Amino acid sequence: MTDKISRRRFLKGSAYGLGALTFGAPAIHVHAQEPTIRCGVVTSLSGENRFGGNLTRRGYDLWAEEINKLGGVEINGDRYRVEMFYGDAQSRPASGADAAERLIIRDEVSVLFGPYTSGVTLAVQPICAKYGVPMISGSAESPNVWLEKPQFNFGMIPAVDHTAGSSIGVIAEATGAASVGVVGVDEPFSKETAEGFRNGVNNAGLELTRFELFPANADLTPIVSNLKSDNPDLVAVGGHEEVLINFINTAKSLNFRPKAILMHYGVTAAAFADQLGADANGVLGISVWTPNLPYRDDLFGTASDYDELSHSRWGSHPDYTEAACSASGLVLQDAARRLGKPPVWDRQARLELVEALEETDIETFYGPVAFEREGNHYHNNIQPVPVVIQITEGRVVPVAPSDAAQTELVYPLPAFS
Amino acid sequence: MDVLLQALLNGILIGGILICLTVGFQLTFGVLHVIDFAVGGWVMLGGYAAYWASRLLGIDPFISVFFVFALFTLIGCALGPLIYHVRTSRYARPDLMALAFTFGIFIMMRGGALWLWSFDSRSVGSVLSGASFSLGPVTVPLLRLSAFGMALLLGLGLFVLLYRTRFGLAVRAVAQNRDHAGLMGVDVKRVSAYVYGIYTGITASAGVLLATIYSVNPEVGVRYTLFAFFVAVLAGLGSVGGVLVAGLVLGLVESLVGTYVGTRYSLLVVFATLYLVLLISPKGILQRGI
Repeated sequence: MTDKISRRRFLKGSAYGLGALTFGAPAIHVHAQEPTIRCGVVTSLSGENRFGGNLTRRGYDLWAEEINKLGGVEINGDRYRVEMFYGDAQSRPASGADAAERLIIRDEVSVLFGPYTSGVTLAVQPICAKYGVPMISGSAESPNVWLEKPQFNFGMIPAVDHTAGSSIGVIAEATGAASVGVVGVDEPFSKETAEGFRNGVNNAGLELTRFELFPANADLTPIVSNLKSDNPDLVAVGGHEEVLINFINTAKSLNFRPKAILMHYGVTAAAFADQLGADANGVLGISVWTPNLPYRDDLFGTASDYDELSHSRWGSHPDYTEAACSASGLVLQDAARRLGKPPVWDRQARLELVEALEETDIETFYGPVAFEREGNHYHNNIQPVPVVIQITEGRVVPVAPSDAAQTELVYPLPAFS
Repeated sequence: MDVLLQALLNGILIGGILICLTVGFQLTFGVLHVIDFAVGGWVMLGGYAAYWASRLLGIDPFISVFFVFALFTLIGCALGPLIYHVRTSRYARPDLMALAFTFGIFIMMRGGALWLWSFDSRSVGSVLSGASFSLGPVTVPLLRLSAFGMALLLGLGLFVLLYRTRFGLAVRAVAQNRDHAGLMGVDVKRVSAYVYGIYTGITASAGVLLATIYSVNPEVGVRYTLFAFFVAVLAGLGSVGGVLVAGLVLGLVESLVGTYVGTRYSLLVVFATLYLVLLISPKGILQRGI
């Protein structure tokens, strides 16, 4: 008898080994389980929206870390730790839906924290409905998300039609700007932002010199050249951070500086001012949260405390998306407390959790949270009041409306340095 | 009229960027017969190298571009023999193996960039950033003008290298027929490695300029790979001379359509142009491709 292992024996042994692992692993998994609240995060950790996607993750993670420091979420006097599971949407709606399904089936999450972009959120909503899993979206701002009246999805940030339009009127009132050029990226959120700006122009009775949508990867030179030719008082841009940075770079290279530039979303993120340096100064943005707001809660303390905590944890100051994502956790812990049932939650318990979420009415460091129960903003939290901010010496400073302003709005903008 | 002049200038300058991006890619295809999926990855890494040089050492991209060229030429020369080995392997379909191999390299580059530089978009500042001058009613951005100048220099340099040096003769011989060139005493493997090195050096240098004009992040590579394919197919695969014309044509089409029809239709018209050229002249715009 030889000591060598024959090919047949080797394959046989491997098959047994694999079989044992396949059937044994779930048993190990079950034994390792403790009563925890299993939360899934579906967001864009890679792909073109990875910047904002990672901001959302930071926000959700910070809540999980802070609540776990206290021992977890309190339900009927007992505390249950939060376990986070992640699904990378890869900035693609279809991948987001796959990731959500994987989190629900494989990782058995009871609750989802929602994606960064509205496009992915729209794709994940039917998955939530199929499995009866509630989702709290700390980012999606497209009004289309709420027009569908999603039973299981709850949005923390007011839809952009609620914020973008009104900001145009506020700026026009503060500056006397009479003409506006509106451009935006042709994708769900940015397009609706641009449309919100356009509606704001019409409602304020201003002159709309141009309205143009463009693909995310377009060279911006023709667009900026046309805007320069029109020369409106205010240029409003709907897009995410990379497009906004490129827009400023292109405008500078073509020596075009309108009296005011308004952008949404990305200017409130620290990376915008960091990457553009002095060229970021003067750019206007819209924010539903700033660290100087007078809100507070028991977990994070004041808005200012949250700002410091986030800065010490991640190395950069949070914007309103990160804040809204952290506040999503506060909403969940409040609803779970009122639900009064310990995890793991079955389908019936999750339906009751949805009802508890609908009845949310709390104040957090992010501001008041209560979800609409009817209308075009169904399940959207439209409580926060948008303020116009301006990048000043690299910092995000509220400048309008007058009751929220910390400093005077710079208008017209000086030439690029 | 002012807008038309500005659009024409913009188009020519965009064309310069596209030429920078594609000229090395074409050379590699001509010699190694490899469609390099990693082209956008080299652009991205060149951009990040300039970012580091600028942030950590305070070196302007227009100086660091020479170091980047040298560094990435060395990297390319080291990687070239491996690409050559895959491309000339005796296993089935080495052309597809090479395609998959470069795709793998690209994925590694993208993952590595995400790990090293995180998900933020990085801007690379230069003394020329935002600088421009007026030529009548037209604003000329100096950065783009420099990129265009560099494209012309690259084209001229490659022309001199290919048609005025013994190395260029060997490169052209390998491009025409690898086996015959080998029988004539040309060290095909070494020439291929050098060509791959020149390609990575040029493409990473283009990345320095692109990062200075726009910005760089781990995802930009995909976009630039697509653009390189557009220009290469329009030029005729393997035709270096065709790139100069194809780059300018695509730049002008993109700019004029963007200005007068709408930027959202630019890609549609670019694809339509590509389709028509392939229909009428499958070997590219100068009919010199493979």
